[in-house]
Amino acid sequence: MHESILAFRKRRYLWVALALSGLSIALYLLHDPQEPPNGGTLLGYTLGTVGALMIVWLAWFGVRKRRYASTTGTLQGWLSAHVYLGVALLVIVLLHAGFQVGWNIHTLALVFMVLVIASGVYGTFIYMKYPERLSENRGGASRSELLDQLADIDRRSRRVAEKLPDEYRELVTSGVQRTALGSTLWQRLRKEDNSRVQIDGQIVANPGQEAAMDWLAEQQSRADANAATTIAELSALLRSKRQLLRQVNEDLRLQAAIEIWLYVHVPLSAGLLMALVAHILTVFLYW
Amino acid sequence: MTYLIRFITRNAAGGVEQHDRLVDSPIVTIGRATDQVLHLKDRRARLQHAQLERKDGAYHITSSALAGVTVNGKSQRDARLNVGDVIEVGANIIRVIDTPANVDFAISFELSDDATDEHLASEWSTPAIGIAGWSKRKLSWTLVAAVLLFGFLLPWLVMQNFLTAGPVHSAHSSVGDECDACHINLFQRVPDSGCVECHTVARHTMQQEHVVLGDVRCATCHLEHNEPAELINQHQALCADCHADLPAGVDLQRASDFLDDHPDFKVSLKRPVELEDGGLDWQVEHVDLAGARDAERSNLKFDHKVHLAADGIMTPDGNRVVECNECHVPEPGGARMLPVSMDEHCASCHTLAFDPDDPSRTVPHGDAEAVMQALVEYYSARLLGDDPDAVDRRVRRPGQRLTRADRDRVAAEARGQALAVAEDLFERRACINCHEVTKTGGEFPWHVQAVQLTEHFFPHTNFSHAAHDTEVTSCDSCHNATASEAATDLLIPGIDACRDCHGSGERRRNSAGQLPSTCVMCHGFHFETKDEYP
Repeated sequence: MHESILAFRKRRYLWVALALSGLSIALYLLHDPQEPPNGGTLLGYTLGTVGALMIVWLAWFGVRKRRYASTTGTLQGWLSAHVYLGVALLVIVLLHAGFQVGWNIHTLALVFMVLVIASGVYGTFIYMKYPERLSENRGGASRSELLDQLADIDRRSRRVAEKLPDEYRELVTSGVQRTALGSTLWQRLRKEDNSRVQIDGQIVANPGQEAAMDWLAEQQSRADANAATTIAELSALLRSKRQLLRQVNEDLRLQAAIEIWLYVHVPLSAGLLMALVAHILTVFLYW
Repeated sequence: MTYLIRFITRNAAGGVEQHDRLVDSPIVTIGRATDQVLHLKDRRARLQHAQLERKDGAYHITSSALAGVTVNGKSQRDARLNVGDVIEVGANIIRVIDTPANVDFAISFELSDDATDEHLASEWSTPAIGIAGWSKRKLSWTLVAAVLLFGFLLPWLVMQNFLTAGPVHSAHSSVGDECDACHINLFQRVPDSGCVECHTVARHTMQQEHVVLGDVRCATCHLEHNEPAELINQHQALCADCHADLPAGVDLQRASDFLDDHPDFKVSLKRPVELEDGGLDWQVEHVDLAGARDAERSNLKFDHKVHLAADGIMTPDGNRVVECNECHVPEPGGARMLPVSMDEHCASCHTLAFDPDDPSRTVPHGDAEAVMQALVEYYSARLLGDDPDAVDRRVRRPGQRLTRADRDRVAAEARGQALAVAEDLFERRACINCHEVTKTGGEFPWHVQAVQLTEHFFPHTNFSHAAHDTEVTSCDSCHNATASEAATDLLIPGIDACRDCHGSGERRRNSAGQLPSTCVMCHGFHFETKDEYP
């Protein structure tokens, strides 16, 4: 039975994270240092040490997830703890800093950390929602099956077009060759359909196969009854191609969204580790 | 209803094999899902692609797929079937064949040759995700290098204030961005040597006054780079840690909290001390405020009650109400009050005129012998001058000089008049109103006791009048002057008056709304002056 990473072992790590945050907040409220709360008080150093160790441990997830032979907990458990303790880190570090921020290396590390956590929360949301949307959109097929269906429609379109004059064959062949699925990340995330088609010797934009269908509708109104039936058949095939293209483009978008946030989360985590080292080094350099 | 499905396969040699299957069911489902009656192993077919069924007395094929199925070369979603019709689903070919006996409807099923052609879309089947050729690893290392370079190395070389933990206090603005002015040795805590570059040890005599502190560094208490800036440790524990439980032999009362554990105030007062030769010396004494309510000894006579009468007092400008701040003016900065001066604050009413015929002429204030001298000169001039009212009117030839006898006579007469006026001034009309005047005998028989004002009643506190000038306070909130009839009244408020507003050393206002008040709100930790302190 599938169990969400958030619900892992009855939300065990949610309670760990809440306990850790609650304990930190309680200590912060009870602690009465002889100076404004900052990273240099007894509690400040304590929370800072805990926070730094947590950051290193959270980053270690990137190593642990590749260690397929590892038996230190399950990977699902690690990810569950990674998510909950990652959010708890925000509380601990803000208390560590005594909510002091400025234009300096220390706040730079904080900014990196907040961005890493924010991207992680976004990624968790994506992981919770998108796989389901992905399979709903595919309707039980795999992406390559969808693409094969697309190819089948293209093949059938060509065959139908063979019964019609040359300009129809040109329309179908160029439309097949110039069908474009998001080739860049940006196009995928935006579901841009950059398909083109050649009509009357001109190559024109053909998003959703509309240009081709418009042209066919126009031809159909002028054609004799026999040809009109064939043209209508071709139109029906293009309509179903449009539907399939939408499905594939949505599939590409969801897939891109599922993967792209890690291109933010992982590099920022690396930046955070460097900023953390610089932060600690600076603190003791100018003790 | 019984359907017959005839499976046809062609072997490599071109031979045809076939086998029949009978299906007893109202409909024949066709699709890629394994629960379909006619199970198609073709990725172009949908899970439930189409179905055969009997409708309106004929057999139909219907399809839920948008593109439908191809029947006799035409895409259709619902087609009535006749023997000989050809149905295509992906690469599969279904033909309607003659119906044998005992069967309602029959089809044959054959896999087409071109099941694998035209995978036009295969190039899209494994799309690469990424940002223009940047892998996560490459992005990560780039960011690490950028943070190291721009976050640490460059600031270290050219912009060290990027490495600061917080703003430098404005008191240290002269130090500016020079981190090494205080952070003398890297990886070592800030030593005192940086502090004493600017701050003289003479004012910060911590080592002598609080020997218990031992080798505590300045920066243990004086912390920079915080927000809110708090260079001076305001914490109650700074003092209370020791003063709540003083070691034996320390002659001080315990104090750990202003509201709950603080002795009554002591006040520094200038008081006369008799010397062995009978003279008086004025010395500052540190006495209990409660026992010194009428102990002010300033040698002045003053009645606050009369001056501050609510129905006014007669002045040269008529009857009017006098305000406190007409005489008590804050010093620049507003901490204490400037001294009250006769010339500025008293003389407009208390004129030192002495001759009713010449009311604008006054004697000087502050020097008794100068008063006498002024009077003698005044009356000498009147006796000798060209004034027609001059007293000595005996005719004298122009250029003729006074004889010595004449001069002695005039001088004696002037001095006699001056003494008479002076007696009036000193003993009855002017000086005696405010000053202690004693008659000593001799050539000049009066002695005015010098005014001995206490300059600072609490020399050891940071009290500031300006800080107490609020909407809810007035002078008489603390100083009960309107009821004071004698200058011996000490109008300094006691600790209870302070506690109306000031509370404990907690960080927040308490339930009574009193201000959090820690020791260093009033007291300095380091003794900065020893004047007026016993």
